[in-house]
Amino acid sequence: MRKSKWLGLAMAGIVAVGLTACGGGSGSGGEGGGQAAKGGAEPKQENITITFQNIYPDQTDPKYKMLRTIVDNYEKEHPNIKIELDSLNTDQQKLKLKTQAASKEVPDITVVNPAAQMQPFVDAKLFAPLNDMVEQNGLKDTFQEGILDYYTFDGNLYALPDGNNIALVYYNKKLFEQAGVEVPTTFEEMIEVVKKLKDAGIQPMAIGEKDTWTGSFLFMNILLRTNGGPGFLQDVLDGKKTFEDPAFIEAVDAFQNLIQAGAFQEGATSFDYNAGENLFKTGQAAMYFMGSWATGGIETSSANENGNVGVFKFPTVNGKGDVNEFMLAPGSAFAISADSKHLEETKDFLNYYMLNYPKEAFKLKGAVGLAQKVEGDFRAAGYSDMAMEVLAMFEDVKGGDLAFDNTMNPGTAQAHLSSIQNLFVQKTDASAVAKEHQTAYEQNK
Amino acid sequence: MLLLLAVLLVTQLYPLLWLFAYSLKTNEEILSGSFFSLPSAAQWSNFADAIEAGNYFRYLGNSLLVTSLTMAGVILLSSLAAFAITRFRWKGGQLVMLVFLVGMMIPMQATLLPLMVVFKHAGILNTHLSLILPYIAFQMPISVFILSGFMRTIPHEIEESAVVDGAGVFRIFRSIILPISVPPLMTVCILTFINIWNEYILAATFVSAERLKTLPFGVYSFVSQYSANYGAIGAYLVLGAAPVILIYFLLAERITKGMVAGAVKG
Amino acid sequence: MNVLKVSRWTIAAFVLPCLIFYAGLVFVPVLVSVYSSLLDWNGIGESRFVGIDNYIRLFTADPVFWPSVRRTLVLAVLSMGLQLPFALFVAILLNRFIRRPNFLVSSYFLPVILSVVIIGQLWKTIYNPTSLGGMLNQLLTAIGAGDLTRAWLTDPDVAIYAIYFVALWQYIGYHVLIQFTGIRNIPADIYEAARIDGAEGLKADRYITLPLIVPIFKISMVLAFIGSLQSFDLIMVMTGGGPAHATDVISTHMYNMSFLSMKYGYGSAIAVFLVGLCLVATLAINFLFGKLDKRYS
Repeated sequence: MRKSKWLGLAMAGIVAVGLTACGGGSGSGGEGGGQAAKGGAEPKQENITITFQNIYPDQTDPKYKMLRTIVDNYEKEHPNIKIELDSLNTDQQKLKLKTQAASKEVPDITVVNPAAQMQPFVDAKLFAPLNDMVEQNGLKDTFQEGILDYYTFDGNLYALPDGNNIALVYYNKKLFEQAGVEVPTTFEEMIEVVKKLKDAGIQPMAIGEKDTWTGSFLFMNILLRTNGGPGFLQDVLDGKKTFEDPAFIEAVDAFQNLIQAGAFQEGATSFDYNAGENLFKTGQAAMYFMGSWATGGIETSSANENGNVGVFKFPTVNGKGDVNEFMLAPGSAFAISADSKHLEETKDFLNYYMLNYPKEAFKLKGAVGLAQKVEGDFRAAGYSDMAMEVLAMFEDVKGGDLAFDNTMNPGTAQAHLSSIQNLFVQKTDASAVAKEHQTAYEQNK
Repeated sequence: MLLLLAVLLVTQLYPLLWLFAYSLKTNEEILSGSFFSLPSAAQWSNFADAIEAGNYFRYLGNSLLVTSLTMAGVILLSSLAAFAITRFRWKGGQLVMLVFLVGMMIPMQATLLPLMVVFKHAGILNTHLSLILPYIAFQMPISVFILSGFMRTIPHEIEESAVVDGAGVFRIFRSIILPISVPPLMTVCILTFINIWNEYILAATFVSAERLKTLPFGVYSFVSQYSANYGAIGAYLVLGAAPVILIYFLLAERITKGMVAGAVKG
Repeated sequence: MNVLKVSRWTIAAFVLPCLIFYAGLVFVPVLVSVYSSLLDWNGIGESRFVGIDNYIRLFTADPVFWPSVRRTLVLAVLSMGLQLPFALFVAILLNRFIRRPNFLVSSYFLPVILSVVIIGQLWKTIYNPTSLGGMLNQLLTAIGAGDLTRAWLTDPDVAIYAIYFVALWQYIGYHVLIQFTGIRNIPADIYEAARIDGAEGLKADRYITLPLIVPIFKISMVLAFIGSLQSFDLIMVMTGGGPAHATDVISTHMYNMSFLSMKYGYGSAIAVFLVGLCLVATLAINFLFGKLDKRYS
């Protein structure tokens, strides 16, 4: 959009004229406007303001405290630098960043999702490469093996993740006992468990399907099993498979079996992520499939009193797949704007931030599912049994798949998300679902 | 008949009462999900939590600033335009009116991205101006619509005698037309207030600095993020709604007069 | 005939500030959208000029688009055809039977000024399924209509009607207020004269209130229409357009396309369509009332 520049200038001019005119007209409107404009004062030469867009506005979230602590410390050590935090919730942040990106007005530091989701931003050359920054003082080695690959394009690293999670099933031990069921080891058993819980008047599973990625995440785990291993979507992208592959159809059928068995709460598609999770956290649902990032919140919830919540790996489906292959969720990551006015300072700050992050996270008991290696004795630091179980699960990871929207382009992903959401409200022929996917994929190629 | 009015009263007042009760409950009471229940003991601490955690007073101050500047701008500009459209002898009046009418229904979201580009080049991103300007612009059509509806009905004898007395147009506007137009101006104020007070998409997009953010933004992110304490969410919502309710009831009488002051006679 | 003959400069001084402001911030962005709608552009990277391809796809190959247009228009029709007459009826009742109606009018208005977040949350809890204590379903069971209970917001066949209802409910007070004040402003001597001619009570309403309320009704109509086309927040809060697009309207579809599917050009085409629709509607409403005005005057 090359024209936008002069168009914008012209409009800016028009606005300016409008303002002067209304000031001349007689009144308060114009003058007041002028005052407000002064609010965003230009930094002086030596004083630097770095804008740090982030997705942690919730004061009860440990990540909020980690962020504030590290920022405060940095500001103390560098009195001339001010870190301006723009804390938004996830939806707001996505919308805002896309709007900003369109006008090449990306904040100094922002948050992006890995792989396919950050590809458009990288293609538009909006982010600065961070290769030198992670290598200068060993920051790179604090990251887990391979995790940075999801943020690397053509040999350039563009973002640093703060999380690295896997998908698992949380369950409520008390409710399992009440219904007399055991932890399922196969998907078929899981469906039996669902039925028994239902008979005992217990809500079997909770999900926040208004947000659509939640159901997709679970569905993709089934696909990871029926495909006998990772890489289904990659094969589609490479042209080796189509969505009409038997593994995909089998996954749709299995997923529908789970839904038809009554696994999820009524009206699941109107529950947003928090509302769905809260059903589990408050002991109103027996199982909850989610990424391990939920561990912190569930730990402190009322459902987990006396260590009542346990975890298990997503089971095999029709005897296929390996329970040690997980849905992988390399977390949202911090990227630096290529147009940042203070590129060096921003890099320095982010470097400092990431170096200190694991320590602070460990202290605040938020070190489960970090992208970096964490030193320290979790048990001695007072991490709960459930957190220890989750940590142990990380040890077993033998690979897996990324979420759908991290692999496919946004257009295909939206079609997929809505197609899966539809399965929650009406039973659909699996081959029709497959065809719908294939059509969307081809249209959005 | 009366029953209908009573039922309507209940249904329309219910949300406010519900919200207020909600804001005073504990998490357990809220999650037990019964509908007409009152809190067993009022949890005023919810309000303390909300004020402290949600930056309430700062956001409130910003909202008041932005909203009042917007109202001032809207009133000034739209009354000038409405005056010209309805009282001057010229050919363009109908056309200008039509232009405004057409714009009345353009949704703000559709202009998000182009506005971002404009504001970037004007250098006013991340200032209150980047909210006030589009707010004024988007309130303009409905205001011109209402004001000109009223001004059209003012008898022409008024200006005729003023002209005879030697008053200029600006004086006629300021000392004669504006004072009689107070009722519709009040209406414009309240419409602007209602529309702006709850706006959050632009507020979240154009302003990044925490010290500049407005209340709807606070409400929105508080609600979707502050997951652990429902009562505090309720309290924050009550706090967010309180200023509007207050202003509405203070002005209610005048607003109702202004809403239609002109249109009936016309 | 207007008496003030003024110079061009004076006209400009009065009209231009407003017009320029408005044109720069509302019209120019719309023109930019028109241009964007001719692009294949994800909103971030390189764009490609594709002419009217986006429109062709929108009108012929988008399974979500026409249903969402229909839903938007249905809401507008319901709003103008049900909500407004109902509000007028309430306004007449208030005027005729209540000694001090102002408190009632103000109370009816309250939902209008509450944030959509509040309204959305409230109705979500009301619409909740029985298993989660939804009030509506409990109520239905209590009055023996148990087989009418359902998952109001997630059954694709009823979800949109559940949302229509909330939207109509929220703004009833708005229109009651407008029309009530309109009736109040009808001079009492007209009714007095009618009474002498033998028109009283509802008959007086039929022959005096209705014709004289027409100009006010037009304001209501315009506001109702704007409200319907712009209904965005409420749907985002309650269902997000789901399940599977069952509650998408034009504005939510535009949002999904522009910002979630990252087809900004395509989203712009939807925006342009919406603006065009508004244009036609404004002209239609004006035309309609032009005729009504003539008939009654």
